[in-house]
Amino acid sequence: MESMIFNMAERLLRDHVSHALREDAAAGQCPEALWTRIEEAGLTMALVPEAAGGFGVPAAEALGLVRIAGAHGLPLPLGETLVANAVLARAGLPLPGGRLTIAEGSALRLERRGATLHASGRLTLVPFARWADRIVTIAALDGVDHALALPVRDLAVEPALDLAGMPRDDAEVDRTLTDAEAAPLPAGTGGMRALGALLRSLAMAGAMETILRMSVEYANDRVQFGRPIGKFQAIQQYLATMAGETAAARTAAEMAASSLDTPAFALGVAAAKSRTGEAAETVGALAHQVHGAIGYTREHALHHFTRRIWSWRDEFGTERDWAAELGRAALTSPRDTFWHFVTDSTAQGATA
Amino acid sequence: MTLTSFPPPPPGADHDDLRQEVRAFLAEELADFPPEMRAKSWNGFSRAFSRKLAQRGWVGMTFPREYGGHERSALERYVVSEELLAAGAPVVAHWIADRQSGPLILAKGTEEQKRSIVPRIAAGELCFCIGMSEPDSGSDLAATRTIATEVEGGFRVNGTKVWTTYAHEADYMILFCRTGKSEDRHGGMSQFLVDLRTTGNIAISPIIDMGGEHHFNQVVFDDTFLPADALLGEKGEGWSQVMSELAFERSGPERFLSSFALIEELIRLLREDATEAQQAEIGRMAAHLMVLRQMSRSVAGMLNAGQNPSLQAAIVKDLGALFEQGIPRLARSLLSRPAVPGGRDSYAAVLAYTELTVPSFSLRGGTREILRGIIARGLGLR
Repeated sequence: MESMIFNMAERLLRDHVSHALREDAAAGQCPEALWTRIEEAGLTMALVPEAAGGFGVPAAEALGLVRIAGAHGLPLPLGETLVANAVLARAGLPLPGGRLTIAEGSALRLERRGATLHASGRLTLVPFARWADRIVTIAALDGVDHALALPVRDLAVEPALDLAGMPRDDAEVDRTLTDAEAAPLPAGTGGMRALGALLRSLAMAGAMETILRMSVEYANDRVQFGRPIGKFQAIQQYLATMAGETAAARTAAEMAASSLDTPAFALGVAAAKSRTGEAAETVGALAHQVHGAIGYTREHALHHFTRRIWSWRDEFGTERDWAAELGRAALTSPRDTFWHFVTDSTAQGATA
Repeated sequence: MTLTSFPPPPPGADHDDLRQEVRAFLAEELADFPPEMRAKSWNGFSRAFSRKLAQRGWVGMTFPREYGGHERSALERYVVSEELLAAGAPVVAHWIADRQSGPLILAKGTEEQKRSIVPRIAAGELCFCIGMSEPDSGSDLAATRTIATEVEGGFRVNGTKVWTTYAHEADYMILFCRTGKSEDRHGGMSQFLVDLRTTGNIAISPIIDMGGEHHFNQVVFDDTFLPADALLGEKGEGWSQVMSELAFERSGPERFLSSFALIEELIRLLREDATEAQQAEIGRMAAHLMVLRQMSRSVAGMLNAGQNPSLQAAIVKDLGALFEQGIPRLARSLLSRPAVPGGRDSYAAVLAYTELTVPSFSLRGGTREILRGIIARGLGLR
């Protein structure tokens, strides 16, 4: 994972994503200058194959950027742009550059009108829509998935916020699509819901690592009863519990990331979103308990991370949605035993 | 933050051919093995089964050929281990020897100890037990009182060990005890290889657990003479030798599959017409299991690469025990079907057995509180 692009991204985010920048973003100000740096560094192309202009890093490694974007609480759609570019490249559509975001497209109606395609319907809870140039989504036409790139300026965007104060808008679509805006996808790409769930799982894992680090530092620094509170066993047990949940979250997210484009992805991402969403509950609650009252203030940075994980666990399917999907697969599996289902659905040559 | 990073197991870790061979073997050997026996998980004892398994080359898999082993990787051993546990095979007769005593003897033993003992472990012929806990030394292992005093030709041992699993069946004990007084709490400890078949003045008596099962024992050493060549490793190095075994002891699939028979029973009954809410509960459990398995396999990969992932192993064991202990709650929340010890209904019998076993899961092999203390220190708490 310690590749050149990963280290470059880590440096860039460490140097430029501050508490002030996150506060400004939550007040409605898009960090344009930081986006320019990210784009100039080429980070937005990391998940695009070499033939389409990417750098040919393995997908699991490119997706490591999403985890560290989460770890820094980056208030920009980097993960969304990574996935959007990869989907556009796969459909053979031009990569327009700029900020992109993704939306679940199952509510869109895609139809032929004469020689052209027409999309209509409502996209809901679209992350960063009003700051994005295009919304990339996947919708079906006659049973074939199509990638769509919808210019935001031509859509009616209805602003709303997520728990962390980031844009998460609805968009009304009623548009005749040009050739550069729609194309069929090869089978097996999967829907935007699964790709979004993968992004949110990775970002949650990264944010939880930051929350854990902040909590350990606070427990070492904060003195009560004449000693650092980290000396108390009750606090140690909380921090150890947070470490276990964070480790499980990261393992779950990385397991899904490394199964991208294999048959194991469908259930891997279900397990990841369900497990990371559950970890977000415990890690967030215990982090606030360790931090005491100061962690509950706007002034302290903790809320940027806890509010994000509590938003992300809702997006692209809640843990309950994905758990039901995984459970349905387990209970209707044709395999002899549940054990065979577990080993087969996570094996590298899995058939889901 | 390395503590939260569990790198994926190396490519090819699935070893699918081996897995299918083991499944075929188990399907035949355990064809008539009922769920209530499978529920005993790695507490099931059968010397005959252990020997048959060894004949297939699945005991001592990672040991050198020179000592009767098969020189296979830790990940191949992992595949065999998890298939045995998932099937509820009776494995305890060789489990401890295969998991930690054999590797310990290979790492620290004399040439004579290795030659005389390791090949018999690999043949599935030797059962080992571990003499660690004492009446006044549970989590606080450094409070060990049992003492081996040097005498002509060897040592005289006095003291009492408790909770010694399968001492009543075992051929050997790895005894952990004091060999000297030391300022350092961790100093002056040593390990011995005790031949329970031939050594006199050892009294082994049963301690029955709350479910009525006999796994535990009390083992009393009363001026017991051990020859000098019973010393295992360096005198005074017992503490660090024990610590180096822990990553093996704490990270394996036995740390999250102990309630697996109940999971299979539950799913068998739910299969036909589960509601969406039941599906979600099963899915949540499946997600936990898939992730734990990946973490545990990751640790196997780290061990195979010669690293010491003892902190990651502590995390696997802590999360694994929570998972195993949560299975009766899951079952009871999805089905209204009372537990009946030894009942004719296999679900009811397995639920009863599992409910009465789960309290031990966060006690054995390091309590939850001890593990979390280790993890907290690993996080850099000052």
